[in-house]
Amino acid sequence: MLSFIARRTISALGTLLLASVLVFLAVQALPGDVATKILGKDATPDAVAGLREQMGLDRPAWERYLDWVESALHGDFGTSLVSGKPVATEAAAHLGNSALIALVTVLFAVTGALVLGVLAGLYRDRWADHLISTVSLVGMSIPEFVVATVLVLCFSIALPWFPAVVLYGPDASVGQLLPAVWLPALALATVMAAYIVRMARTSVIDVMASEYVTTARLKGLSTWRVVTRHALPGALLPTLHVIALNVAWLVGGVAVVENVFNYPGIGKLLLTSVQNRDLPVIQAVALISAVVYVVCNLAADLGSMALNPKLRTRGRTR
Amino acid sequence: MTALVSVSSLSVSYRSGGQDVPVVREVSFELPEGRTLALVGESGSGKSTVAATLLGHLRHGSRLDGGEVRVDGHDVFALSPGRLRRLRGGTVAMVAQNAGHSLTPSMRVGRQIAEAGGGVPVLDLLEQVRLPRPAELARRYPHELSGGQQQRVSIAMALAARPRVLVLDEPTTGLDVVTQRGILDLVADLRDELGLAALLVSHDLGVVARMADEVSVLRLGRTVESAPTRKLFSRPEHAYTKRLLASVPRLADDGLALVGEAGEREIRARAVVPPQAPVAVSADDVTVDHGSVRAVHGVSFELRCGEIVALVGESGSGKSTLAWALAGLRAPSGGTMTHQSGDLTRLARKRPPGLRRRVQLVFQNADTSLNPRRSVGDAIRRPLRLFGTAPNREAATARARELVRDVQLDPALADRLPAQLSGGQRQRIGIARALAGEPDVLIADEITTALDVSVQAEVLRLLDDLRRERQLACLFISHDLAVVRGLADRVLVLRHGVVVEEGPTQAVFTDPGHPYTRELMAAALEPDPDARPPVDDVPDWEETADADGVWTDHGHGHRVRRWRPASTPLVEGVP
Amino acid sequence: MTALDPAPTPAPATAPAPASAGGRTIRTWRTLRSSRTAVIGLAVVGVHVLLALLAPLLTPHDPVANSPSHALLGPGPEHWAGTDQYGRDVLARVLYGGRYALGVSAVSTVLGVALGTVIGCAAALRGGWFDDILSRVLDAVLSIPAILALLVVVTVLGTGYPVIICAVAVVFVPQVVRVVRGAALAVVPADYVTAARARGESTWAILRREVLPNIVDVVCVEFAMRASWVVLLISSLSFLGFGAAPPTPDWGLMVAENRTAITVVPMASLAPIIALATLVVGINLASDGLSKAWGVDRIREGS
Repeated sequence: MLSFIARRTISALGTLLLASVLVFLAVQALPGDVATKILGKDATPDAVAGLREQMGLDRPAWERYLDWVESALHGDFGTSLVSGKPVATEAAAHLGNSALIALVTVLFAVTGALVLGVLAGLYRDRWADHLISTVSLVGMSIPEFVVATVLVLCFSIALPWFPAVVLYGPDASVGQLLPAVWLPALALATVMAAYIVRMARTSVIDVMASEYVTTARLKGLSTWRVVTRHALPGALLPTLHVIALNVAWLVGGVAVVENVFNYPGIGKLLLTSVQNRDLPVIQAVALISAVVYVVCNLAADLGSMALNPKLRTRGRTR
Repeated sequence: MTALVSVSSLSVSYRSGGQDVPVVREVSFELPEGRTLALVGESGSGKSTVAATLLGHLRHGSRLDGGEVRVDGHDVFALSPGRLRRLRGGTVAMVAQNAGHSLTPSMRVGRQIAEAGGGVPVLDLLEQVRLPRPAELARRYPHELSGGQQQRVSIAMALAARPRVLVLDEPTTGLDVVTQRGILDLVADLRDELGLAALLVSHDLGVVARMADEVSVLRLGRTVESAPTRKLFSRPEHAYTKRLLASVPRLADDGLALVGEAGEREIRARAVVPPQAPVAVSADDVTVDHGSVRAVHGVSFELRCGEIVALVGESGSGKSTLAWALAGLRAPSGGTMTHQSGDLTRLARKRPPGLRRRVQLVFQNADTSLNPRRSVGDAIRRPLRLFGTAPNREAATARARELVRDVQLDPALADRLPAQLSGGQRQRIGIARALAGEPDVLIADEITTALDVSVQAEVLRLLDDLRRERQLACLFISHDLAVVRGLADRVLVLRHGVVVEEGPTQAVFTDPGHPYTRELMAAALEPDPDARPPVDDVPDWEETADADGVWTDHGHGHRVRRWRPASTPLVEGVP
Repeated sequence: MTALDPAPTPAPATAPAPASAGGRTIRTWRTLRSSRTAVIGLAVVGVHVLLALLAPLLTPHDPVANSPSHALLGPGPEHWAGTDQYGRDVLARVLYGGRYALGVSAVSTVLGVALGTVIGCAAALRGGWFDDILSRVLDAVLSIPAILALLVVVTVLGTGYPVIICAVAVVFVPQVVRVVRGAALAVVPADYVTAARARGESTWAILRREVLPNIVDVVCVEFAMRASWVVLLISSLSFLGFGAAPPTPDWGLMVAENRTAITVVPMASLAPIIALATLVVGINLASDGLSKAWGVDRIREGS
């Protein structure tokens, strides 16, 4: 069991290292001169040369990569080319704001989706299932920006309950941001829940058709007990991984939705940096999202290990 | 007094592809207190569906068309949900077919037994089903138990609420013979001890003969014949029952049983392999490893042209591993295997095509050994083209049809997909595909295990015909001693990767020298309620070897691995 | 022959259907007939394709011509869906907008699925170190959200069609590989593949003859599913201003442009939203229906 945890953790670190190489390659080693890319084609040769020197571009790529990783490990992601501030401080402030949205989203999406998915699975082929399935199909068919736009139309313009845009910067307090959190979170939760609902439904149907659930029923147990004790533990295992993947997806979804609401989070930071070609910030954000993905997956793996006696008792003698 | 269970004119249909398919038609029977009724039938006879109705259960998509099931005076399909729950477990309990799948993987077995209700302590129940160290066992998860232990736990769970009727749905299918014998003995004892009525569902006439008081034979959802067990086995009346009984291979058959249309049984004398027949394959001291586990340990044998050698053993004995090594799917880690025309220790893709086509494997499960997306004709044509036995496309097509005819099927079937054939037809196609390479060695890996007994008889006969006509050498792998008895010329008994006894079939079966062989024979069940076990008690034993080597020679190639009675005999006075 | 049942009846197939190409057509047709969901979905997608192709015949307006005097009109006989802030006809832009969405999505999905299928099959069949290293690399690629990866690529290489098509294809390859590899892994241990190995067939022959025909269903469903994701992704990219360049008629871009004027001319935002939503719902219905009819566990494999 310990060796399983150790192996998974090491492999997660490996993935992360590989992801950092990919990020670095994508940003810095794709064809073309980095300084020209940043400054655009109209930049004066002097400006290009200056930037090259500032970024140490005359050194070989692998040396720059090692430098970057080493300082990243110390929490130093370089300085933003636009604001001149340290990337780490800037990213941290935005990240905190995004975490607020993410927390609310995950809370709503996961609990809501699990309840609906399990219901749909249990009442398979009845009206409740058809309704839930149809709504979730539509939910996963509509892009986040559309959901966000429609929400703004309904709850900011038609019914002015929530602000349509955030007027604060990244250093706003939680109290200032709180009213603006709900609509973006709702938009993200709608899309995210759709996937989890579908997954939970299929797993519940699978497990309910399994021989061991039939046996439990034929033992004369109540439906409640059959579902909670026999069916759900097995059904939730595969769902756990979908939840992890979706939490990781959130990082991308956040970028779009924050832009709609002008919410000062990590997604907004990313878009501004992309517009300004602020490479150090882009690198940092990409790396952060890779960390989120890897950590979520690791958590799901360890979680399923804790829930699955087959994995948990591995190595114990028969 | 009325019967505890009475089923009258029960009809059930299953909805499939937009139409109702009847699975049970007008089945009736009564089960009095303390008696055992067996429902016997081949696949598709509806026997499991009938069994489940005793608990008021129908599969998803099934519908009750008519008739009723009364248990203890109540119509089970008219009970309120609450009373149905009390019926299940309380009055009627079920032991499902596959204990590995019917226990919830995420719950400890002790809890699963406890929640089945009743006031009997879990540990007492586990003791009652004769499981060792019950306290420790109750804390385990199902996957930490062996197949036999899982089945015992299932039985304990069914007995927890002290039911009056026990429904046993193929309770020993998939278990090894020795384990099966243990479970059946246990069920019989518990049934007598607790005075239970039992409904036993089985395809195995041996199991039924051992367990039941009365038998109902089902076929395609209808009752064909019902009779007390002894009468049914000695004087079957319906032709189907006769044929079914005649198709079961027996330990006393000295040759292959040919079954006639009316169920008459004729033993065909064994083909004589001339002593000068060339050796097709010889294996010497072959060892195969699965990672760090030694699956096959120093096995040697010779296989002559026209000869069928049987490899017998329980699951995990390494018999299939040896087959795969011969077929070139797994490299042996030691020893030599040679064919007349080359070295067989190399993997298939490294063997020259001339050698590759001469050694062919037929798989256990014909359902998965044919590509579901290609016609069966295509499956046979492919080796013809690959090995160059047919010069062009047209010749290959013609030859494929010929091969289909050779395995006694209609050549028109060549255009069908595997899913459009029956199980027996698919297995014949599997044999035809193996024959396409014009092999002189056929490896048959449990090829009749998944088949119904009547279809098994046909496939065995085909195999026997082929070796007579083509002088094929055949390595026949099986766990079933009775099947081997009529077909094989020589037998190798394999245990934990080691051959413990080998010799001519006749000699091994009439005078088994090794206690393990005897144990297997003692556990084999004959379709005869009055059958005596063919061998006496099996002593505890351990391996031994002395200066003379590991074998005791009984003459005529019959030799037995040395053994001695266990050093601490259980019974005083046993040497 | 001593059969107990005189000539066991084969499975209830309509006719001894020929197995090869003809069989597949028949099977596909039967699938379509049996699954209403798939038919509806495919019909919706078909209508979208037709509308995009026939756009010049359906509307007399030029989707990119500015006409300040006609700006911000509501729906009327001249402009059925009104005009946007530059006076461009909304309906024309929506109709032409389908071309970009469908074209880019189709090409990049085909590319991504084809590449992913080949790699996935190879990984399943070869196994060993090749599979191990591949899984690691794919995991690393997956760890960066698709939209973010695209944004990075677009920043570095610009927003031309080829760049977007290749980038989208590459971003989706790992997910396709995962699904196809899983499906192929389920086929590889089957006895018919073992039989082919025992015959000594080459890896390529096994792949083509034994494995691929048995995962066609999975690949088709995967294709439909990726297509819906790609449409969503590309429209999101356009919405953010990194996809189609401004005068181009594109749904995502239209929503972004007209969002601020949503209270004045709601149709200018709603029309592209409706177009986008119906297209993706159509694709999703098709892939749901197909996966159900073919018994492919789409949701699990898509996860």
